[in-house]
Amino acid sequence: MSPLWTFLPLVLALLSAGTPWRFRGLSLFLGMTGLAWGVLGGMGWASGLGASYLYLFLLGALTLGLAPYLPAYLAHHPREAHLYGLLLPLFLASMAGVALASPGLGFLFLWEGMALLGYFLIALEGPNALAGARAFFLASRLSGAGLYLAFLGHGHVGADWVWAGLLLGFGVKAAVFPFHAWLPQAHPVAISPVSALLSGAMTKLGLLGLYQSRYWFGPPPPWVGWVLLLLGLLGAVYALVRGLGEEDLKGALAYSSVENLGLMLAALGAYLLKPMPVLLGAFFLHQVAHALFKGLLFLGAGALGERRISHLGGLFRKAPGLGALALWGMGVGAGLPPGPVFLAEWQLYQGFLQGPFLMPLAAGALALVGALALYFYVRLYGLAFLGLPRGEAALHWTQGMRLGLGVLAGLLLLLALVPGLVLDPLGVRTYPNGLLLILLGVLAGVFYRGLLRMPMRAYGTWDCGFQPLSPRMQPNGLGFAEPALRLFPFLRLQVGEHPRLEEPLAEVYPGVGRIYARLAAWVQTLQSGSLHLYLLLQLLTLVVVLGVVLL
Amino acid sequence: MTAFLALVLAPLFSGSVKWLKARLTHREGLSPLMEYRNLIKLWRKVWIAPHPTTPLFLLGPILALLGTLGALALLPILPGPTFKGDFLLALYLLGLGRFFPMLAALDAGSSFGAQGGYREGVVTVLAEPGTLMALAGAVLLGEGFSLSGLPELGVENSLVLLLALASLALGLLAEGARMPVDDPTTHLELTMIHEAQILDHSGPLLALYELAGSLKMLFYAGLMALLLPGFKPLVFLGVGVAWVLALAYLETYGVKLRYLRLPDFLSYNTLFGVLALLGAIWRF
Repeated sequence: MSPLWTFLPLVLALLSAGTPWRFRGLSLFLGMTGLAWGVLGGMGWASGLGASYLYLFLLGALTLGLAPYLPAYLAHHPREAHLYGLLLPLFLASMAGVALASPGLGFLFLWEGMALLGYFLIALEGPNALAGARAFFLASRLSGAGLYLAFLGHGHVGADWVWAGLLLGFGVKAAVFPFHAWLPQAHPVAISPVSALLSGAMTKLGLLGLYQSRYWFGPPPPWVGWVLLLLGLLGAVYALVRGLGEEDLKGALAYSSVENLGLMLAALGAYLLKPMPVLLGAFFLHQVAHALFKGLLFLGAGALGERRISHLGGLFRKAPGLGALALWGMGVGAGLPPGPVFLAEWQLYQGFLQGPFLMPLAAGALALVGALALYFYVRLYGLAFLGLPRGEAALHWTQGMRLGLGVLAGLLLLLALVPGLVLDPLGVRTYPNGLLLILLGVLAGVFYRGLLRMPMRAYGTWDCGFQPLSPRMQPNGLGFAEPALRLFPFLRLQVGEHPRLEEPLAEVYPGVGRIYARLAAWVQTLQSGSLHLYLLLQLLTLVVVLGVVLL
Repeated sequence: MTAFLALVLAPLFSGSVKWLKARLTHREGLSPLMEYRNLIKLWRKVWIAPHPTTPLFLLGPILALLGTLGALALLPILPGPTFKGDFLLALYLLGLGRFFPMLAALDAGSSFGAQGGYREGVVTVLAEPGTLMALAGAVLLGEGFSLSGLPELGVENSLVLLLALASLALGLLAEGARMPVDDPTTHLELTMIHEAQILDHSGPLLALYELAGSLKMLFYAGLMALLLPGFKPLVFLGVGVAWVLALAYLETYGVKLRYLRLPDFLSYNTLFGVLALLGAIWRF
């Protein structure tokens, strides 16, 4: 792919960004580009041109969902709306550029540009977002450092070093354990459309990079596969357990992203150890499914005025449409059978069980992840959407938002009915999932209608006859999670007036920041203003350059 | 096909356990066939819709039944659909039948339902990995990576299959909400798991839950029957009878474990699962 072609989306976005924005214009622009990328991506993937095009499809799908959603959402952010209108297309274009680029300076430029735009988009939310934006920035620096090591060192240092750099560079962006801590800090604080893009699309580019590195830099040493497999599974379990104690709805969704990314990293690691088509199927199908359902859920969370789980409840009755869409998204996220995430996990299990050495044991970890994910999404959905309302949560649920979420839910349904769209180019076969979905849907519908016709009496929930139920009798977010958190003693639950759960790995990024600052201070001594030092430096440079040229 | 067979047998199974338990405590006991009449009676009753409910209140029992039936349909005791990796789908269909009841329990807005929900979640987290690994170990020894190619207990694979059977047996106790994990007859809030979840469901909804509960146990019994040699439908019946005896004995003379002791108990499930899988990898 020529480098010029990769910059095309960015140029187009820049040109159109100059035009005076109305929301409708922005919506139209996003819709058109989304459609174009989607069609291009779908065609390119099906005709076997390469994995890059699948990511165009992903971006296109998310953009299509954003197109009607964004104007409705930004109506509540009138002050920053124009800046979002300028930055979002640029961010989308830089991600498309990264997906298409081949390694080199152009790639690094687009990669850093993407990180910078992402930082601005998070920081734009206001002072509350500062800590998250800083974590994102530091993670981007770490990721950049790894990539420079790999790209510049390629051909000069051993494959071990190149791959260590790639793991750091792309892995940090894909939230590899223990460097995942930036994601749950940064994603929830941004506005919902940005969270959807960060979680749905940007983190996937790290995975794409790791996948393509195999072709760019040659086959990796075996330890890379094991490291990815182990860290991926460890990260998935860790993120789910920590996410179980998360009070912020979007924070919990961010932890779920870490879990899903962990499974994808594990799939890639297993694929590097033993190239089986099922593992590749799991890797790519999970990415498409995750982008769609996480986009759906983050956008859905944008409709809520209150994000603390313990203060929500009874939302289904207030907005049945939102409740149904969120149920579909969360059911898919919990890895329930006819959903595409289950299909991906189904293939991952098969890959693990047929893998070399002790890899089959990874299936046990995957089963633990599956059970925890069930618990995790029951808690999220049950406490937020069902039961008695715990407060008067405001809801901004407008027509445009409905349409945006509907697009993503529809695409997810299409993926569940015809998973072959993604899997056929890889030569992976599945059982007829669409048939199962239709069968379950029809049977459940028949039963449902039958039960509704039977004699029924409305009555209060059984309250033991002492005093009427109050919403406070329902368990809150931590109360529902506590029995499971007890099983995993690496997290310390602080109970008391304001019970909360620490993120033990949150200190990773401040640590990175401190090291970074110390390095910067050290380099700064070179610029002391001393003429002698500058002359010495020039002389040394001359000697080194001559040495390199002459020898 | 297997699903229909199980559907016919399920009330007899749970009815027999109840009858035998009554006999063991020197009570007359109702006929084992009473369970059929009980289900019909429940089906004809009026059901109560608690005040704050949503469609999920109804979807809970429906999908509990459909998920379990779907899982049973994949068991090749009688001819049925079979494909590569079907055992994973079967276990996850059971998961589908667990997800919606947990939501339905939260839907009524009482503290009981939620309590049952999270306790059930914890039992799942504890029991799922071991059960899956045990089954995977057995499948790895068989052919075609599916339930229809499962090996039968013999001399050369006895260790792996016995470990898998032990793990599945513990899985049945945990997933079937039986002693010592849960007490299906308890009315004491402190010890309830499954019963707390379905407290607000009545009439036909309760009938669906009860049916799904006994079907789930028959699924595990069916898995165990697949690992034993012989004509499958007969072995299935035999395993069912053995379970009736075992459950009645256990629930008459056993006690329910304290809730916080469950991890200790179910760690054996995981341990057997890991050992079965290791045995399958290293072929000992």
